[in-house]
Amino acid sequence: MAKEIIDGQTMTRALTRITYEIIERNKGIDDLVLVGIKTRGVFVAHRIESRLKQLENIKIPVAELDITPYRDDKTHDEKDITNIKAEPLNIDINNKHVILTDDVLYTGRTIRAAMDALMSAGRPKKISLAVLVDRGHRELPIRADFVGKNIPTSQKEKIKVSMKEIDGEDKIEIE
Amino acid sequence: MKRYLILEDGTVFPGEGFGSSIITTGQLVISNNRTGIEQSVTDPNTEGQIIAFTIPSVGSSGINRDFYESINSQCKGVVIGSSSLSTVDSSVSFEDWITGLKIPGIKGVDVRALSKHISEHGEMKASIMDTHDEHAIDQIKALVLPPDLVKRVSTRQSYPNPNMGLKIVIVDLGLKYSILRQLSYRDCNSIIVNYNSTAEEIENLHPDGIIFSNGPGDPQDIPNAIKTIQILQKKHPVLGIGLGNLLIALANDCKIEKLKEPHHESSLAVKEVASGKIDFVNHNHSYTLDQKYIGSSDFIVTNICVADGTIEGIRHEYLPIMGVLFEPEAAPGPTDGYYVFDEFIDLIESVKKQEGARDQWN
Repeated sequence: MAKEIIDGQTMTRALTRITYEIIERNKGIDDLVLVGIKTRGVFVAHRIESRLKQLENIKIPVAELDITPYRDDKTHDEKDITNIKAEPLNIDINNKHVILTDDVLYTGRTIRAAMDALMSAGRPKKISLAVLVDRGHRELPIRADFVGKNIPTSQKEKIKVSMKEIDGEDKIEIE
Repeated sequence: MKRYLILEDGTVFPGEGFGSSIITTGQLVISNNRTGIEQSVTDPNTEGQIIAFTIPSVGSSGINRDFYESINSQCKGVVIGSSSLSTVDSSVSFEDWITGLKIPGIKGVDVRALSKHISEHGEMKASIMDTHDEHAIDQIKALVLPPDLVKRVSTRQSYPNPNMGLKIVIVDLGLKYSILRQLSYRDCNSIIVNYNSTAEEIENLHPDGIIFSNGPGDPQDIPNAIKTIQILQKKHPVLGIGLGNLLIALANDCKIEKLKEPHHESSLAVKEVASGKIDFVNHNHSYTLDQKYIGSSDFIVTNICVADGTIEGIRHEYLPIMGVLFEPEAAPGPTDGYYVFDEFIDLIESVKKQEGARDQWN
């Protein structure tokens, strides 16, 4: 049975805190761009963007990233690395500080794929990672810079993030 | 017994005395609180103040003597329209309670006219007296209110509020118990110190975070606290509440200004700038931050008052400093502001994590 562990209010607060931390650690946010990993990472990116706009009155570019072609759950034979058809990013990330956003950080494989996708689109000055939930169990040496909530889990459990834009309400459930 | 409320400008409001029969003088503030009267009267921020409650009948929801914000009552007097003699579930009526606290009161005052007068002419000194001749009016005009309000309410000796969590040092400028309640609820291991404690004394306690509490009066009367903040803010997370927030602003070359219509209301809407969320929170402040200086400073505005646009919360762009002018601990008023304490604890945790990461790599 799914159990709600984070409600809408706490999620809102977590996103606000991530925004404050982004401001605090960047001393000026002029060269920032936000890249959201489809699907819910994009909404996380947009919510951070709107908060930055309210607080600092600066519009940060936001892009959507589809990592499907870069996933590592296909076998090597299936995958033809030289022939990846990625959707182009609609923004320039060269020499920018990219903040990659996603809803849940788990094995780290999605983030690795996302970094591959970013690298093929340009050469960012720096890539940081912001996630709503870090549930542990990494399989790759990847760490988030901005974490909404650390939720220790067992690998048997499932974490389900719902966001207003697509699911009608904000909440995080565990089952 | 007939008594008079005399204002600094010579205006006289006649009424009937209750409570203590001494002559009293103080800063008159208009409070729109409807409930939580116990909390307002015992709030250390009301040191030196005569509170006029605009609610037509005070005490009709009962007096709850578990809702104290300090051991001794702090305010210099109360002004009311009328009060309920008996209440449904309370063993004590408002007037008996005020009498027990030995606070002078005056009832039957046209609080609506008084409130309009103050909002037109600004906050002023007032006196509750037995006469209203010229001599009495001259006396109140000549009177200089003492500037040592914080000294009178701050704890003389440091004391602990032990628990197992983060170590928080609270500089007591007029600390309300509800701030301690909120910290206890979050397992904070707090130590409360005198307002004049030096930065060195506070550092020796090895705090994870420091809170400058709310308090009465003008922040410019306590310059030592400003110097203390300037030293501490470079090394520790700092939260300022009310007076504490004003001190933080002054410590960072911002200016403050007196509000034309001071905020003394238990439920006034404040907007969180980042998310657009509206919170109803308790306000009790006569000063605010000057908008002109905030723009060019290293602070970002995090909260604004919806009614008049005054700044209600700030945060430093790269140092772990935050402050709110409203009272997040509520008491009286709605509890929407509690999240400020969570935010401060998040701020401390994030600083600790950063420091941990630095130690690991260097």
